[in-house]
Amino acid sequence: MNFKHKYIFLFPGLFVLIGILIFPIIFVVRLSLSGWNSYNGLNFIGLENYIRLFTDDPRFWESFFRLSFLSVTTVVLQYVIGFALAHMVWKEIKFQRFFRVLFLIPMMTTPVIMTVIWRTFFHESLGPVNDILGNFGFSPKWLTDPTLAKFTVIIVEVWQWTPFMFLLLLAGLLSLPKEPFLAAAIDGASPVRKFIYVTFPLMAPISIGAIIIRLIEASKIMDTVYVLTSGGPGTSTETSSFYIFIKGLREFQMGYAASMSFTYLIIMIISLTVIAKVLTKLLLKD
Amino acid sequence: MNLVGENLSYKLTEELQLRKISFNFEKGKLYTILGRTLSGKTTLLKTIAGLLMPDSGTIKFEGKNFLEIPVWERNIAMVYQQFINYPHLNVFENIAFPLKQRGLDPQKINEEVFNSLKLVGLEGYEKRKIQELSGGQQQRVSVARSLVKNAKILLLDEPLVNLDYKLREQLREEFKNIFINGLSEESIVIFSTTDPREAMELNGEVIVLDEGKVLQVGAAKEIFENPKNLKVAAISNDPPMNILKAEIDSNKIKFENIEIDIPDHLSKIKDKNFNFGIRASDVELNDNGFEFEVELAEISGSETLLHLTRGNAKIITSIEEVMDFKIRDKVKINFKSNKAYAFDETGNLASSPFGGSSV
Repeated sequence: MNFKHKYIFLFPGLFVLIGILIFPIIFVVRLSLSGWNSYNGLNFIGLENYIRLFTDDPRFWESFFRLSFLSVTTVVLQYVIGFALAHMVWKEIKFQRFFRVLFLIPMMTTPVIMTVIWRTFFHESLGPVNDILGNFGFSPKWLTDPTLAKFTVIIVEVWQWTPFMFLLLLAGLLSLPKEPFLAAAIDGASPVRKFIYVTFPLMAPISIGAIIIRLIEASKIMDTVYVLTSGGPGTSTETSSFYIFIKGLREFQMGYAASMSFTYLIIMIISLTVIAKVLTKLLLKD
Repeated sequence: MNLVGENLSYKLTEELQLRKISFNFEKGKLYTILGRTLSGKTTLLKTIAGLLMPDSGTIKFEGKNFLEIPVWERNIAMVYQQFINYPHLNVFENIAFPLKQRGLDPQKINEEVFNSLKLVGLEGYEKRKIQELSGGQQQRVSVARSLVKNAKILLLDEPLVNLDYKLREQLREEFKNIFINGLSEESIVIFSTTDPREAMELNGEVIVLDEGKVLQVGAAKEIFENPKNLKVAAISNDPPMNILKAEIDSNKIKFENIEIDIPDHLSKIKDKNFNFGIRASDVELNDNGFEFEVELAEISGSETLLHLTRGNAKIITSIEEVMDFKIRDKVKINFKSNKAYAFDETGNLASSPFGGSSV
């Protein structure tokens, strides 16, 4: 097909693509090379922002490693719990449909509103959690203890997003061929061994997909932190996206925030590619 | 010490159920379950394997209640009609799977797997992925996997049915060798099939199953020679035995204006009306015979199957050569009456050319 005016027909699509994808990336790169804040214009200052980021901003790197910790931990927990739940309702059990819907409810709620409710839950003096624990003489500082606050963020994240993992893994389980399971039972595999040697390996491709999707999502943790702790106490629950948000939209250091965003994007692309490769090597043999 | 089933019943659907099946399988023997589709063959095998729990009845093996033992502890091997393997493992790992479950040491596993690969003729394929194999090779892998266990009970559920003609012939021959050489005296082999020729060729003890009931049990030869009733005669012959409503009058068998001299072995029949049975291979073309009209002619391998009609009588004859017939051609045929069967009006065998009779 060689058609003279094909570009005319391609243009509307390309225009949208350029408008919403290509231009913003180029603009962010340009922005990161400027000292743009609320009073300067788009003045070119070279790599100054990047030099500052790599030599003089431990807070960004701390928030980045905190983010890595939080997203890996939450995704691993979501995977384990999601797999367990999916496996449970995959088998013929009583009220199967009821459970399948029940496990999806957290996903149907609005994250921000649910986080507000969780914050109320974990409120140190007024929340119901400490109300109950108080009877036993405990009143943990869910939101103001630096270590415990991370734990609280993890709880809320896991609660909110396990259903998504559950849904993907259940779909995967339901799509598995039945025959290998028949064979495995006959071949002397007890239910536990059947899971280890048949179910899990057969689920490997789906697991990798689900984990990568959730890692991408989880590395954007923002709303939970914003509502629950606002990154506090101190910076103990601050994640990269939240820190970039503070720099860019609270302190209006747009150029610097852009350089952080761009660095963050590059790191994420590289690390997710590596993770996907490693997972594939680990779970799929060839 | 046998595998004994008593009054096994299981209801899956209205047309697929087991109705009070009893059996007694002895070690060191080959059993063939012969029956049409939906006769309950697979259901019965699955019940023995433990994949299905019967609604009532008992299965005992070596004196123990088999139904209380979970599937994975029963030491059974099963080959299915679909080629069932583990898609995520290669050929070697597939065959090694049951041995790994038992926790044998790798040296031993290696040895056993290569032995059984040799037995099914797949040496050199151990590194291949299952998806890279042809259907026949995949089925060989699952046969190897079932043999490697040295299970006390080996169940084969129509293992040849999904293979092409040539391969089926070849594997059937190999199966016979495997059953003779590859199995210990301690094993019970149960093979299910819809194909009477397969049952005859394997030459074991045959159990004829229909609508979830056992119709007849006996050696392959016995089932072939003396089918107990019309149903068995139909199931154990391919094409099914021709059955014609006939009557006996002054030492002649009469139907549709045909008169045949009564052969000796049918002369004892007392009833006037009876069912005259004759195999397709015992009907021959003969210029002095009775005229029939060709309804359909099919060539199957090196034979020609002719579907013929005359009035209300419909018969099938098989001719041992490839011949060209047109629909509505007239042909003349003769019946080898010394090979004829008689079944009474209720369908039970009255007299057979091999001595079986109820009179």
